Amino acid sequence: METVINEYISQELVRDPELLPLADETSLLESGILDSLSLLQLVVFLEERFGITVGDADLLPENFASVNTICAYLRAREPAKQATRG
Amino acid sequence: MAYLLQRLLTEAAAKQPRRAAVASSGCLLTYQELDELSNKMARALLRRGVAPGDRVGILATKSAASVVGIYGVLKAGACYVPLDPKAPGQRLSYVVQDSGTALIVADEARTPQAARLLGNVPRPLGVVVAGPAGTDGREQAGTAVTGDTAIVPWSEVAAEPGEPLTGERSIETDLAYILYTSGSTGNPKGVMISHRNSLTFAEWAAAAAGLSEEDRVCSPAPLHFDLSVFDIFATCRAGACMTVLPEGAATFPVSIAQWLEQERISAWYSVPSVLTLLACYGSLRKFDLSRLRTVIFAGEVFPPKHLARLMEELPHPRYLNWYGPTETNVCTAFEVPPGHADAGPAPIGTACANTEVFAVTSEGGRVTQPGETGELYVRGPSLMRGYWGQPARTREVLVRSPFRPEYDELVYRTGDLVSLDPAGNYIYVGRRDSMVKIRGYRVELGEVEAALYRHPAVREAAVLPVPDELLGSRLRAVVTASDTGKLIRQSVLDHCRRWLPSYMVPDVLEFREALPRTSTGKVDRVGLALE
Repeated sequence: METVINEYISQELVRDPELLPLADETSLLESGILDSLSLLQLVVFLEERFGITVGDADLLPENFASVNTICAYLRAREPAKQATRG
Repeated sequence: MAYLLQRLLTEAAAKQPRRAAVASSGCLLTYQELDELSNKMARALLRRGVAPGDRVGILATKSAASVVGIYGVLKAGACYVPLDPKAPGQRLSYVVQDSGTALIVADEARTPQAARLLGNVPRPLGVVVAGPAGTDGREQAGTAVTGDTAIVPWSEVAAEPGEPLTGERSIETDLAYILYTSGSTGNPKGVMISHRNSLTFAEWAAAAAGLSEEDRVCSPAPLHFDLSVFDIFATCRAGACMTVLPEGAATFPVSIAQWLEQERISAWYSVPSVLTLLACYGSLRKFDLSRLRTVIFAGEVFPPKHLARLMEELPHPRYLNWYGPTETNVCTAFEVPPGHADAGPAPIGTACANTEVFAVTSEGGRVTQPGETGELYVRGPSLMRGYWGQPARTREVLVRSPFRPEYDELVYRTGDLVSLDPAGNYIYVGRRDSMVKIRGYRVELGEVEAALYRHPAVREAAVLPVPDELLGSRLRAVVTASDTGKLIRQSVLDHCRRWLPSYMVPDVLEFREALPRTSTGKVDRVGLALE
């Protein structure tokens, strides 16, 4: 899961080549990788890739701070799905 | 009385010294404090050798400190040039060189970047650190020198006397700021705005938005975007409080909504895409936004579906659609009545006070009836002085009125096509040329193509806009290259990211053997767009 999300963010959302390679714990907010529009792009990707719906109330800094926190959020939300998908 | 932007501040400070002028993360300045700190800043700038008419860069996010910097520059009789902290170094270097900037006011964190930017300037006057710092500020001692560039710490600025400076150093036709915007020939162009140009807007805007000293005003637009002129100067005109949305909160729609409630924001001004995000993802009904009285948007067409949703979620504020290129400031306005959004895009409306607008058909006649389409022209005291250092390009857009050739007064050709609705409001139809809007930012397709051509392997490039509901447009680049290796895509994208701000980097990059041609040998853009 970390690899999939890291690859997507690295390829689609990182605008500054100096931020690559992207570490899973790098702050997506302080580095400026996520802004209001790239956040939504990421949400659409997560919803399609992992078959979930991200509610407005989950669109919070603590969930989207880094690749690691995004994965923690997804695991907490969809334990069953995560198990079947490996 | 002098007709100068900084007088808005000195007058508000005399009238209501203890009212809040600017609130940004961890820092609140009263009008008296802002007035005194900007006096100190002006003295520090004069001490470094800034002379009337000089251009002074501002490399900072919007904050109490950068507002101190802006008023300091104006009080020193100079003109400020916002430098987008998020723009690539190459572009910033171009702006610094083109404008002849020799001194930069920077936030503490951006001091090294500012010193680097001045590295290629023949006689740099130095970097002056803007303050007071917010919650994470750090103090430095004494003027330091990095390479050839002197750095004046905030502590040294703060030690200057805060009393008013004697005498004025500028008059109303002097430049107050230069805003760089996308240029079709490959480099950004500097729009020169005088004190009178900006004051015309600030006076009108404060009245049109109904601002009073009770208001708490926010615009998330950065300093290099002309929407920021509203929250800096119109707010001051009204003696209201300019409130800065923290960078961290701006990313998350729910955080913005929460912040609007917490800060009791009463007037908001932004591009429609931010409001669309708030309407769709902001959970607006969960927050008490009853204080929000006025919502203003400008910069691009607000998709009617999303505007309708916003007005449904938040029915109580007034909704105002403002229109005007950077070159004219806002020149038309329309108040959107409840229920209107279902009828289609909001009109751009009618001319602002003390401004005339008219539309000219391709046959040279005046648009007077619904159904006719023409290019919008603007006349009035808010028009720019011209493009910095580009008299030929200025003459292309600042022209004699086609209907009053005997007048010397120049009018501005917007390049925007408009028509009229039955009520006499202008309606935006589209562009005459190849400029598109992305998140409200102007993007000249030619500038993106010019950046692609700078890549050594790129032979030909065509950039096309793809309509996008949220962004306005996305960019699709079709190129032919001499190198077809695996790494070429990444190399071209990296190259674009070094030259262009992120909203101008193509979203889609396609490689072709050849570009399709029309019978006259031109790149077939229409055919490409239809693919």
